[in-house]
Parts: sequence; structure tokens; C-alpha cells
Amino acid sequence: VKTARCFKRRYVAGFAALSLAGAAWPEGALYQIDPTHASVTFEVSHLGLSTLRGRFARVEGTVMLDKAGRSARAEITLDTASLSTGAATLDAQLKAANFLNVAEFTSASFKADNFSFKDQNIVAVEGALTLRGKTLPVVLRATRFNCYFNLLFQREVCGGDFETTLERSRWGVGQAESLGLADSVRLLIQVEAIKQ
Amino acid sequence: MKLARHWRGLPVATLCLAGAAAHAQPVTYALDPEHTRVHWEVLHYGTSTLRGRFDNLQGSVTLDRAARSGDVSISVDTASVSTGVSALDRVLRGNNFFMSNKHPQAYFVARQLRLDDGRVSEVRGELTLRGVGVPLTLRALTFGCRTDNAAQRELCGGDFEGELAQSDFGMTFGLSFTSDRVRLLVQVEGIRP
Repeated sequence: VKTARCFKRRYVAGFAALSLAGAAWPEGALYQIDPTHASVTFEVSHLGLSTLRGRFARVEGTVMLDKAGRSARAEITLDTASLSTGAATLDAQLKAANFLNVAEFTSASFKADNFSFKDQNIVAVEGALTLRGKTLPVVLRATRFNCYFNLLFQREVCGGDFETTLERSRWGVGQAESLGLADSVRLLIQVEAIKQ
Repeated sequence: MKLARHWRGLPVATLCLAGAAAHAQPVTYALDPEHTRVHWEVLHYGTSTLRGRFDNLQGSVTLDRAARSGDVSISVDTASVSTGVSALDRVLRGNNFFMSNKHPQAYFVARQLRLDDGRVSEVRGELTLRGVGVPLTLRALTFGCRTDNAAQRELCGGDFEGELAQSDFGMTFGLSFTSDRVRLLVQVEGIRP
């Protein structure tokens, strides 16, 4: 049984897998993110009344996981234009130049090689989040982590739920009170990755 | 469908409370479609949380602060389910899950609202999905009202949470790979007319 590893999530789009080739990866097995079971949900308070939720649906990337050695490395990209709240007007405002500016910054990325384990399970990930062209450190906490044998893929799948809270203004995403939305944004990341 | 028509004819509810003392009459709030959404969460293979939502819903909420009561009626277009994975959405609309062709709408109707200190704290009602009605209690995680500066109208809103079992509605197809338990998260904002 293998365990852990994980992926991270979100923010970036596309090229993680390609960039692996030139990187110095730790020992371990390579896992490719399952795009049908990986997404990033954000939660942000609206007018102090209710919580607006939205989703970035297109997440790609790879994770190198060495359970025995309790180390891992991940590169994940997220397609910023895949943002969806279910309300088209709101989506347009969030994608606009003064907010996420998805026309210029088409992807966000998360790269990490500092993973904390408990036994063979990932419990936290420290990495760098690049969003709107700015890179800052972020710590993701695993609220759930597991590996299982997936009968459909006939391969091991590892994954879990991760979360963090950040201030969007640090990445230049809108002003502190833009659109009646709080600066503090909670990210909920679902990720599963398939052993290659 | 019959139910839906019935409800629309009723005075509906309202959500707000903060100004409790100021409002002696029941007030009906129209739901703001941009800030009203039903989200659900199930556990996938005991490993990660699969999230989805329903994008299209209609309804209203009436609050009678003096009587500390109110009612809620909401209809949800089941075909508007959205997980971010279109193939999965198609499966969910199909006969193994929501049966959207035969049952295009799900309904939540509640006439038991609990108000604490002028705030909605709990809503007890019935959810009808696939034509099957099941009791559902939504608990408020947050609730409040404020006056919208631009429109000069009162806005009330909150987050509500509840739990369902897929099998209660006869949905058993997914139980080999997802949890029976479904967590509901409902964001709601209503505007005073």
C-alpha cells in the first residue's frame, strides 16, 4: 500500500507535467493528477452576509511521491479562465483586469517540495503560489489524505482534501473590498492523482 | 410540479431579521440569483471531497419577525447541476441520479423557521427530489441583514448547512464509490422589495 502524496492544487494551468523532465525529482513514484477529481473551490464572504463559492475546474499537474522516504514534490497548474460561480455576470467581474486578470495571467501555479508527513500520509505542504504573476509562499493543510486501488484505472490513486486561507490583495487580486468581497479567501482543494 | 405551482401562490418568506422590532408585518424577500446557490459535497472513494452545485433556482423567503416565524420555498432546476466535469454532470442528470427528464425540479419547502434574537437559526422543511419527499433541516452558520448602499434596500443573507442520504431518494448507483451522506451548503441572499 502506498500512500501519500499529493498534489496540490490549483492554481495553475497546464504545464506541470512537461516541466518535470528537467527537474531534479526525489526518489519515488510519479503520480499524474486526475483532472476529473481535482478542482479548487474558493470561499469568500460577501457583504459579511453569506459566503460566495466559486470553482476553478481545470487543474493539472504531477506529484513525485516517496512514501517510504516521506518526501514529495509537486507542480500543479490551474487554468484561471475555468473560474465559475454559476453566475455569468459575477464570473466576468472576477476574471476582469482589475481582479484576476485572466486574459493576461491565464494560469496560476503551485510548486512545492516541502511536505510534512504523519506516518505515510501527507498532512501539510509548503510551497509557492504564483497568481496574477506574483509568487508568494503558501501552506496547505491536509484535512484528509488516502491512497486506494482504483478499479477503473487499475492503478493506485492517492489524494485528499487540502485547504488554506490567504489574502487575495497580496497577489493584487482586486482591492480589499472589491465587489463586496472580503480580502480573506479560503481555498478548498480536492485532488486525486493516478500512479504512472 | 403541482407543489411548485401551489407554492408560488403563497406569500413567501423572508429572511431577515436584524431589524426585528422595526418590522411588524411579514416581509417577503426575493432571492438574489447571483448570491443564492446550493452546493453539495460527497466523499469520493473515502479519499477526497467531490463538490457540485445547482446553478438555477428560484424562490423566496418570508419572515414574520413579530411572530418569529416565516416560510421558505425554493425550486431547483436539477439539470443545472455543475461539477466542473461535463461527463459527470450528464451522468448526474440521468436516471441513476436526479432523473432530470422526468423530475426537472427539486423543491424545498419549509414553514418551521427558528428565530433567535431576530436571526434565522434553523429552517425545517421537506426536500422533494426525484419525486421523493424527505425531511430536511438546514442550520444557519451565519445570518444577517444590512441596507444595500446602492439600492437603499434591505438585504438579508446567510449560509445554511444540512445533511442528506442519497439512498433516501432511491439513489444507490453511486454508493460503491461515493459516500451515502451528502453535505449541503446553501448560500442565500434575499432582497426586500
